[in-house]
Formats: sequence, C-alpha cells, structure tokens
Amino acid sequence: MRVFLGALFLLALSGGSAAEGKIFPFEYRLVQLENGFKAYLIRAGASRQIAYVTVARVGARDEWEPGRSGYAHFFEHMMFRGTEKYPNYDAVTSRIGAARNASTSIDVTQYYLVASSDSLEQIIDLESDRFMNLKYMEPQFRTEAGAILGEFSQGRANPYLYLMEKIQDTAFDRHTYKHLTIGFEQDVRRMPEGYQYSLSFYQRYYRPENCVLLLAGEFDFNEAERLIRKYYTPWKPGYVPPQIQAEPPQTAPREATAEFPGRTLPILTVNYKGPAWSAAEKTAAAAEVLGAVAFGPNSDIYKRLVVKEQRVQTLDGDFGLSRDPNLLTILTMVNRPDDLPAIKEEIQRTVEKFRTDLCDQKFLQDTKSAMKYGFLMSLETAQGVAFALRSFAVFTGGIEAVEEYYRTLDSITPEDVRSAAQQYLVENGRTTVILVPAKEGTK
Amino acid sequence: MRRHAIGILAVCALLSACSPAGGPRSAEGIITLSEPESPFVAFNIWVRCGSQDDPKGKEGLAAFTANYLSDSSTRNNSYEQILEKLYPMAAGYGANVDKEMTTFTGRIHKDHLDAYYALFKDAILAPAFREEDFNRIKSQTVNFLKQIRRFSNDEELTKELLFREIYRGTPYEHPEEGYVASVESITLQDVQDFYAKHYTRNNIVAGVCGGYPEGYGRKVRADFDSLPVGTAERAARPEPAPIDGIHFLLVEKNIKASPVSFGFPIPVLRPDRDFFPLMLFNSWMGEHRNSFSRLYQVIRETRGMNYGDYSYVEAYPRGYATQVPPVNVSRRSQIFEVWIRPIAMTQPGTLHDRTLFALRAGLREVSRIVETGMTAESFEETRGFLKNYTANFGATGSRRLAYRMDDSFYGYPDPGFLASIKPGLDALTLDQVNAAIRKYLQAGNMWVVIITQDAEGMKRKLLEGDADPHQLSGAAARPGDRGG
Repeated sequence: MRVFLGALFLLALSGGSAAEGKIFPFEYRLVQLENGFKAYLIRAGASRQIAYVTVARVGARDEWEPGRSGYAHFFEHMMFRGTEKYPNYDAVTSRIGAARNASTSIDVTQYYLVASSDSLEQIIDLESDRFMNLKYMEPQFRTEAGAILGEFSQGRANPYLYLMEKIQDTAFDRHTYKHLTIGFEQDVRRMPEGYQYSLSFYQRYYRPENCVLLLAGEFDFNEAERLIRKYYTPWKPGYVPPQIQAEPPQTAPREATAEFPGRTLPILTVNYKGPAWSAAEKTAAAAEVLGAVAFGPNSDIYKRLVVKEQRVQTLDGDFGLSRDPNLLTILTMVNRPDDLPAIKEEIQRTVEKFRTDLCDQKFLQDTKSAMKYGFLMSLETAQGVAFALRSFAVFTGGIEAVEEYYRTLDSITPEDVRSAAQQYLVENGRTTVILVPAKEGTK
Repeated sequence: MRRHAIGILAVCALLSACSPAGGPRSAEGIITLSEPESPFVAFNIWVRCGSQDDPKGKEGLAAFTANYLSDSSTRNNSYEQILEKLYPMAAGYGANVDKEMTTFTGRIHKDHLDAYYALFKDAILAPAFREEDFNRIKSQTVNFLKQIRRFSNDEELTKELLFREIYRGTPYEHPEEGYVASVESITLQDVQDFYAKHYTRNNIVAGVCGGYPEGYGRKVRADFDSLPVGTAERAARPEPAPIDGIHFLLVEKNIKASPVSFGFPIPVLRPDRDFFPLMLFNSWMGEHRNSFSRLYQVIRETRGMNYGDYSYVEAYPRGYATQVPPVNVSRRSQIFEVWIRPIAMTQPGTLHDRTLFALRAGLREVSRIVETGMTAESFEETRGFLKNYTANFGATGSRRLAYRMDDSFYGYPDPGFLASIKPGLDALTLDQVNAAIRKYLQAGNMWVVIITQDAEGMKRKLLEGDADPHQLSGAAARPGDRGG
C-alpha cells in the first residue's frame, strides 16, 4: 500500500509537465502489484507509439551452477518459442507490425517491443502471457541450441570477444562475472541436453518480483494501469535468489595474454576491481567520473596518444559499473606491437597522476555536463526513454533513483575523484590482459 | 530537383501558409522540418558525391575526405579545441559516405545550438587542411584496412564482395573505404583537390530538423552559399553487366561457420511504380532481422542452421548494426540480395554440405515464389505488418530529416517516401505484387559469394553435384513446408 501511495505522490509532483529541478523531464506513474511486479508508465516519445520494455533482472551474473553458463542468454531465445495461448509469438508481433527484439548481458535480460499505441492491450496480453506461461518442448529447445551455437561461432570472428573472455576469466575467481554472457564454449555445446535445467531456470528467475516493466509512449495511463493489473495479477511470485559467491579480495596484480586466430592490432587492457553501481554512494559515482576524466576522449593521455602521437588506434576508459563489483577497464588498441610496454607505462603514469594530483576543476565540470547532456540527448524516442532508464531498473528494481544518481554525480569534487583513484586504481587490484594475433602455425 | 523546388515555392507564394505547420519545406538547396516541441535540433548536410567519384587509383578518397573533414581542425579551432568545446555538450558530428551520397550529420540539445552549429558548419566550410590531422586520419584508416576490416567481420565481407562482382567495371565496384594500396597513395593534396571539386555551393543540400528558431533554415543555407560554385559532372549511372548463369566466388578462410550472399541487379528504384510491390514481396521473403519471414523460417527456424536469413531490394550496408533501414545510402542502381548469416556445424555432416544446402534452400525459395506467387493470405498479412512496422522508420528527427534528403536524391514527390508508404501499400493489389515478382525475380542468373574452408573442396562439390542447384534431396525437403 505504501508504494501505491508513493506512486500517487510522484504523480502529483510531476503534475503533467516536466517538474522543476529534476533531470528526468517526463511524467510517470508506478503501478505495483501484490506479487511484487512493478510497471512504470511514462509519457514520452513520438506520437501514437509505445515502447514496451520488460527488464528481467537476470543475466550471466545469476548463472552460478557449474556447467550452466550461457543460460540467461539461451533463455532469451527460448522466450520467443510460444505459449498455449500464443503458440507463435512472431505471428502476433508481425501482425501488429511491432519491431521486437531482446538482449542479454551480465546483469539483465531485456525484452522490448515498439509498436503503435493501438496495440497496447494486445502487447500487455502477449507479454504477460509468455512471462507467466511459456511452453516449449524438447525438440524446439534443441533446435534453438543450434542457433545459439551459430551466434557463438559468429562471435568467434571478433577479437574483442576473445579479449573480454580472457579478462573476466583472469580477473575473477569465484564470482559469476568470471564468464561472459554467451557462456563458456563447452557449456554452449552441451546446451542441447539442458532442457530440464532450462525449465527450472524459468521457474526461479522469471518471476514478478524479479521483473520491471518500462512502458513509454503516448497512451492513457488509467487504461494501461487497468490492463496491467488485469493481466499480470495472476503471476505467482517465487523468485529464488542465485547463490553467487562473493569475489574474494584480489591480493596481487595479475597478467594474461589472449591469442586471436586472425589478424588484429594488439589490444592492451588494464583492469581494476571497482565498486558496485550506486545512486547514493559518492565513491561509486566518482569512479565513473574518474574513467572519463582520466582516460576519456578529452583526457590528456587520449589527446597525446590518439591525436598527437598516433601511437594507438583507440583509447577507452570504460568505468561503467555493474550490479555487483566488476572491473574498471582501460582499453587501447596499439598501432605497433613493440610499443606495448611504453603504452603500458603511459597508462601507469596516468593512474599515478590521478592518485596524487587533483583533476582540473573546469574539466570535471565539463565531464559532469557531458554525462548530464548525454542522458538528456538519449531521451528522444519512446524506446530511447525506456532504454535510458533501464539500468536504474536493473540495479535498483525501479527508476526513481535517476534523480538521486544525477544529484550525486553533480556533487562530485576533484577530491572525490582522487579518492576514487586511491581506493580503486591499486596495484593489487589490477589485471592486465593483452590480445595479440596467434602465431602462425599455432591453432 | 530544381524545377520541383521552384514549383513548390511558386505555389506557396500564391497560397500563403499552404504547408501544414511542421510540414517539410523545401527550397533550393535547403530542407527544413520544424518541430517546435522538440528540445533537439538535427543537421544533415548532403554533398552530392560518393565512392563512385573516386579517381582511378584513389579508391576510398571520397570516404577519406569526408572522414578527414569531420575529424580535423578548422580555420577557427584546432582539433583539440573542437573536442574540448563539444565535450560538455555531449555532442559530435560525423560523416557517412556511400556510393553516391556523402552526408554530414549532427544533433544537439537546444541549450547549445549556436555554439554547436558554429563548430559543425566550420567542419565543412572552413577546414584547415593541417598536415598533422591528415597524418592521423591516414594512419587510422590504413590501420583499419590492413588490420581490422578484413579479419573481423565475415558477414560484411560476403556482401561487399557480392557488390564488387556484380558491379565490376563500374564506379560501384570498389568498397567505399577503398583498398589498402589506393588509400596508402592518398595525399593531402588529393583531399584538397577532391574537396575543391565536389564541395561546392551547387553540389550541397542542407537540412535542419527540430526545435530551431524562426529563419534558421535560411541562415544555414546562406552559410553554405559561401562556397564557390562548382562544375563537377555527375558520374554516369552504373550499368552492371548482365549475368549469365550462376557465378560463384569462393573465399578461402579458416573459419568454423560459412556466410553466404547471393544476388543480381534489379532496375527498380524507390519512386518507381514497382517499388512498393517489391518492398512488400521482400518483407515477406526476408524482412531484415525479423523472424517470421520466409527465408528465416526455412533456414533458421525449422532447421536451426544459423542466426538469421534476410533479403533486400535496396542497399543495406552494416545491417548487423541496425534494426531499421540505413538512410542516405540512396543509389541509381540496386540489387536483389539475400544474406545468409554464417552456417554453423550444429548437427552431424560437413560444413560444405550444410552451407550448400542453405544456399540451395535460399535459391529454391526464390524460384518457388516466382513460380507460385504470393497467396492472398500472405499478401494481406505482410501488408498489415509493413504498414505498422514502417511507422518506426522515422522515429527520430535525424531520420525524418535523412529520409527527406533521400527524397531529394530520388526526386520523390511530396509528401515524401515515409508518408507515402501507408497509402502506397494500401493501393497495392496481389496481382501487382506477383507481376513484379515474375518480372524481376529469378534464380538462374546471379552471383553467389561464400566464405569457406577448403574452397577447392567446395568447388569440386559444386561442379560434381546436381546439374540443377535447386534440387534438394528428399531428406532436406520437409513435409508441411508451406509455399508463399
């Protein structure tokens, strides 16, 4: 009940137009059901369109049983196999001309449709039904395993996949972030035998308490609320949290080399153990800002190595955070293999600099502005709006945290950035992984 | 295009406020889409040149020049200053080069409109042509060609090679980014010469869309009028050679999954009467990244052979990266194209056999639909789908503007392609669609590109196999297979 009152309060605050002092400019309403399901109705985007985004808070992170990596992603495929009521999911979506797709990552599996507002009830019926009543037989399951292997094989032509695999496997011992979303190859090849396991996966993770709906577009809130209550209320709770092992603290620097069976420029990555995402914790926000300030496209090292000296093809400081503590990654594609040690040195020097010196105040302000306008610029279409809010739903189970997050971001000082560097960019938390072409004649 | 634009101006002078509020306005060289509620402004500067204008031996020059301009110093700002100014706006601009069109696009929040536009326009109007920028762009481009392009995306490779074979001997033959040797030979002088020749006042159409202030379109056009008048000739329309029989290009690579592309030229362009019939047929046959379509059902859905199978009647570069059609890749010559994503070893057999089976399945679907035509049921189903699906093609201001630039390329009559789709589909009949299928589709003359291990082995299988590549063994055809 309290949450329902909260929803009314939010509605009053928003008042039908962009509220003052808030970063998220659109009106929204929270509908929360007894079974724990939450739906956010958001008025935004192009005329007569809706984006229907279901965030299932399950991903590679939840694949804690040995031999079962890749199932969150596999399950994403199975969710299109049909139910008794709608045995052919795509026949329905194609009839209404909906664009639809899904994707899986380490923390989330998301399903989305973009369609005409006229199709609202049909979509609510269709989506609620498959989340509650998915049905598929073993032969269909086996066929889909083929397509998954196809996707896996297609990814093998991509050097970045080899690299990421090596990074995660080297940096993590226990936590499920040790494997990628696609899973370990041996687990993917074994998947055709996993029919029973896939059913138990569905029973444990595809439950109302573990899913959030982001419905953005032009539609009637009261009608949408009525329909959501009607179709999702029968969904039984029963979420079973995964038994993910906490990653023990890293006690020494680690190194590894990944070999790519093809040609590629060498790619150097320096990865540090970082914090989990948080809307309120300054150190988490400061860690994200640190990445942009120290290694982003306007950083000193970028200007020097990419622009002036052209010693690297690309340089990225991706300090984006995950639901659990993951890696802060500096990645660079180096133009000459013999330059690798020197580039590593450059990165180390930059790390040291940010641990000791305060970053430039103006540059910090520009960075915060870039993050804020980056968010605002993404709010053009109904789908864009829903996607922009997705990570909040993944990390917190709701979207309200968007305001607190940008307030926290706004409060970051040069001292906070330096503290984050001192806390996270430490030698014993570091994993260095390089990708090189495999030597001729090997593999 | 000129005559058309003058027509609109004349009519508007006679009947004031004839365009609906927010409707597109098009005068010579400027296209505006006013959307006063929008907090964004999108820009699109179309330069009438592309890879078809690359001088011989300098393939890739058009793309190089555009990339150079969009990523270098200007006379008013050094490259570093540009990056510094763009940074807090969370904005940027970029260029896209296709065979015929070069477009510079950007988008900004209203809060920063003037500061942003000053940088954006300078990229095209006031390049500094500094040596150090040139060296950086050249180094990045050559590295990309040598180390990255060839080795990390087999799917794009089959499509690229398909175009190369079909368009041999025409200006469409080479890939837009060129070859290693040709790009290595590009000098700063080449870039300046290309710029001087093609980036001229009468060779540019400017576009603005969104919540810009009154009169902004005129201001933008006036800025681009500062360029000199040019005399560049339009390249002749490419005439691909007629294809006699089924020609194979087998590319040998040590891979575990084989992609396939096949296709042939079709003489239908967007404004033609047969375009909507073909568009509807194509949606049924292989709508991009949709799973209900015929090819997808036959190869992936029923048999789990690969990630997806699609077909196209308009060029669709970098399809793996998008769910909606690319914009500003308009061309005067198009092909019908089938894209079979890498066939993997998901069941016992050999990769050669599985790949050739998938190819034969694709060819069989093309010959069957020519033979049988679509049914009334599938026609209505596809039409219903397409009318709703295409509503998403203009989801952003940038895309709505880009479609208007493409309208300008094709001389597409008002209200423009996007707005014409629904009425165009509504007016279609099944007979028209089937007549178009019979007229333009066939499975006997085309190019096929396959990337495979042991190319010699596959060649032997092809030569020693059934004389008619459309024959499928009894095990392959499934009972209950439904036709169109």
